Amino acid sequence: MSVAWIGSQPVPLTDAVRNAAKLLASSRCPVFTLDADVHGTRSAIALAERLGGAYDHAAGDVLAKEVALFTDHGGMFTTPGEARRRSSLIVIVGEIPAAHHELLQAWADSQPDLGDRHKRSLFHIGGIETTEAGRLARKLKAIPLRGEGLSLPAALGVLRAALQGQRIAASLSNIERFKKALATAQFPVFVFSGTSGDTAGLVMLQGLIADLNKTGRASSVFLPADDDAWGTALTSLWMTGFPPRTGFSNSLPSYDPGRWDIQRMIRDKEADLHVWMSTRGGETPPLGGKIPLISLSKTNAPTSGAKVTISVGKAGIDHDGVSYSSRTGTFRAVQAAQPSQLPSVSSIIGQLAEALPGKKALPC
Amino acid sequence: MLIRLTGGEVVDPVNGATAKRDVWIRDGLLVDAPKGATADETHDVSGCIVMAGAIDIHSHIGGGNVNTARLLLPEHHRAHLPRPANTPLSNAGWSTFQTGTLYAQMGFTTVVEPAMAPYAALHTHLELADIPIIDKATLAILGNDDFTLSLLRDSKSKAMLDDYVAWIIGSSRALGVKVINAGAAAAFKENVRSFSLDDIVPEYGVSSRKIVKSLQASVTRLGVPHPLHVHANNLGIAGSADTAAATIAATEGVPLHLAHLQFYGYGTEGKRKFSSEAARLAEAVNANPDVTIDIGQVMFGQTVTISSDVMRQFSAIGNASPKKTVILDGDGNGGGGIVPYRYKQDYYGSLQWAVGLELFLLITDPWRVYFTTDHPNGAPFTAYPELFELLMSSNARDAKSTELNATALGLTTLASVRREYTLEEIAIMTRAAPAKLLGLKDRGHLGAGAIADVAVYRKGRDIAKMFREAALVFKNGDLVVKNGKVTHYRWGKTLRLNPPPDKAMVKRMQAYHEERYGLSLDWFTFPDSAIQRPDPFAEVIS
Repeated sequence: MSVAWIGSQPVPLTDAVRNAAKLLASSRCPVFTLDADVHGTRSAIALAERLGGAYDHAAGDVLAKEVALFTDHGGMFTTPGEARRRSSLIVIVGEIPAAHHELLQAWADSQPDLGDRHKRSLFHIGGIETTEAGRLARKLKAIPLRGEGLSLPAALGVLRAALQGQRIAASLSNIERFKKALATAQFPVFVFSGTSGDTAGLVMLQGLIADLNKTGRASSVFLPADDDAWGTALTSLWMTGFPPRTGFSNSLPSYDPGRWDIQRMIRDKEADLHVWMSTRGGETPPLGGKIPLISLSKTNAPTSGAKVTISVGKAGIDHDGVSYSSRTGTFRAVQAAQPSQLPSVSSIIGQLAEALPGKKALPC
Repeated sequence: MLIRLTGGEVVDPVNGATAKRDVWIRDGLLVDAPKGATADETHDVSGCIVMAGAIDIHSHIGGGNVNTARLLLPEHHRAHLPRPANTPLSNAGWSTFQTGTLYAQMGFTTVVEPAMAPYAALHTHLELADIPIIDKATLAILGNDDFTLSLLRDSKSKAMLDDYVAWIIGSSRALGVKVINAGAAAAFKENVRSFSLDDIVPEYGVSSRKIVKSLQASVTRLGVPHPLHVHANNLGIAGSADTAAATIAATEGVPLHLAHLQFYGYGTEGKRKFSSEAARLAEAVNANPDVTIDIGQVMFGQTVTISSDVMRQFSAIGNASPKKTVILDGDGNGGGGIVPYRYKQDYYGSLQWAVGLELFLLITDPWRVYFTTDHPNGAPFTAYPELFELLMSSNARDAKSTELNATALGLTTLASVRREYTLEEIAIMTRAAPAKLLGLKDRGHLGAGAIADVAVYRKGRDIAKMFREAALVFKNGDLVVKNGKVTHYRWGKTLRLNPPPDKAMVKRMQAYHEERYGLSLDWFTFPDSAIQRPDPFAEVIS
């Protein structure tokens, strides 16, 4: 089975690497779409630095929103473990990605063993109800907190005002029930994701939590829209000091979510080469650009439109690796569940670096 | 490879008086002058001082909280100037790569990250593995976790506590143990807002004192070279000197290291009820040989405070500058707070600055006082050169004092203390004593058999310049810095103890994590291979 292609022609891996390295060497502004574990990310960022490129994650739009909560505001957070053990009141905020539903179900099915130890109750605060959010809330038996015609930020604003004792024009369903639950809960936890709402809504949520902490305790659990994307953000932070949407000019990194939005750069023809990664497989590169493409993706066929395609494995499936896990809120060593011959992103990027003029190994 | 450094003035108090002599390096180790041998490489270091590589025992250089601070403050990179060149990613401000580069350029070759949350140990080690050139080590945090507190509440045996502490050290790849405001993070989750040495953790019924004493005893029984590293209660508040004095008095013949004592040097005198108690604390340290301390010196300018003392950090939110913070109620010993802060030359900043210097100068034994700014809490480590100058020159202190708040300085003894650190004392405080405190027999001195971590400084009137830009630095015999710039890139190791795990404790841990967190133990542990660097760890034999 082929693992490398130039155009649509299967070739030996070494030929594909050599060809990709030529493209990289001749590029004046390569951009990288990342989708790899920690070590694949480390290699890719090191290569981007060497080439004076820019990088973002494949889930860059929602990641940028999550990052902005921190860069613009901050907040109060706790871990899934603490929420499970200590919180008798969990409030699900907006839409939570399906990848986390099993975790939420585990909380719904268990009881706290620390703190007030009351029977756990779940609420769901949302804006206009979507089918998915409604289904999840019903499955978890979460009590809805909803106001007619209110968006999520507006609903959060109304809740915050109501808890401050302010007069409010709108009302939320089950607000009195919620107040009663809040009065007895020692460590209420609000669960949110980048998919829950825009940054302004997330900031409103943190304002509400700050209010509650004036006299009592409350916190939030952040479940990233995409665990791998958040792992990439953390890796990027220690390597460059910045989250993704970072680019290198004269080896100095700079972070600018507008300037280094690589989809925009491709559209606006600021970039001249796109290195696209997709270790989760079954995906195609985003449309909208006509610059040369190097595809590092989990595939058994050449990526449509790619000058070079190299098939790579996914950490935790094809090979061992390290990934961010929102179950623990930190990194986890993952073992290959179905070991395969597919190379890791980091090994391919290492080969690309050594095929570049100068043949210098990367620091990662 | 035989290397000779010739003509330098060797400052190596462990091995004798300061004198001009050659230093010889063979294959990464220091050796006695070989008879009749010719060096493959000779460096003329006439006019220079030759010391062992420096060791920083308390600097927050990597891990979840440090990384969250980067996330919160992408604008903070300026604090980490100057920017070096020529090494991959070393221009990335406040990155792991720059951390190693900047430390090496000052002649530091080993740095300890003192606050590793055991559950997030993999994250910490991934970051440390990306810090080039220098060796690293970590201290694992204990004392706020449900398992420790439950053992103490249930009066379980000392042996069981020891097995747990050993398992934590081993599984998290730590060199020692730290306790941070013992019990306070657990109490804060129950809405307790202040916590002192004899306060009781709700839910568990154990006092902070009991936690500290139990862990102190356990670390000692286990033979961990570094005494329990204690971040005491009440950090940063007026009157905290009483807490520090009580903690110092509680050693009872067992070694204990008290971290960043400057932040506890405050009394309640004066119009602002915020005064210096440094002289009293220095006296207490001088009188108690069980105690070692590091300072946590404040220097002026923008920084960010990063601490697992979540209760303290929450109380500091109002002082954040800029106005954004992260507070994390973590699992057990994890969590903490990130609060950016600007130390101003006002009353409070001036007093804190003076308290740190008083402690440095009034504690008489350089073997028991350690050179730190609690990076980045008191100041970024890049402020070290200026701090060396303040310690070695009373004129430099006088000159700086003229810029500061006179009322604050008037409440301190600083102006009357004329002591100036000698180069020998600097060598003890930053080399020999840290090596001894951490149990690192292979470094901190220039005797035969030690690893060839060597810093060469060009002597000059400008003390800060001398220490900012080492003339030469060797790490394990590799020349890594020339004229203040990194010239060779290499990877250091993370030093760890590796006590064998007790099998019964491993089983207990498996059951505990499955029952309490619904996850198997392998979610919280990792193999060395996860770091993906060749031999990322080196074991220290205790």
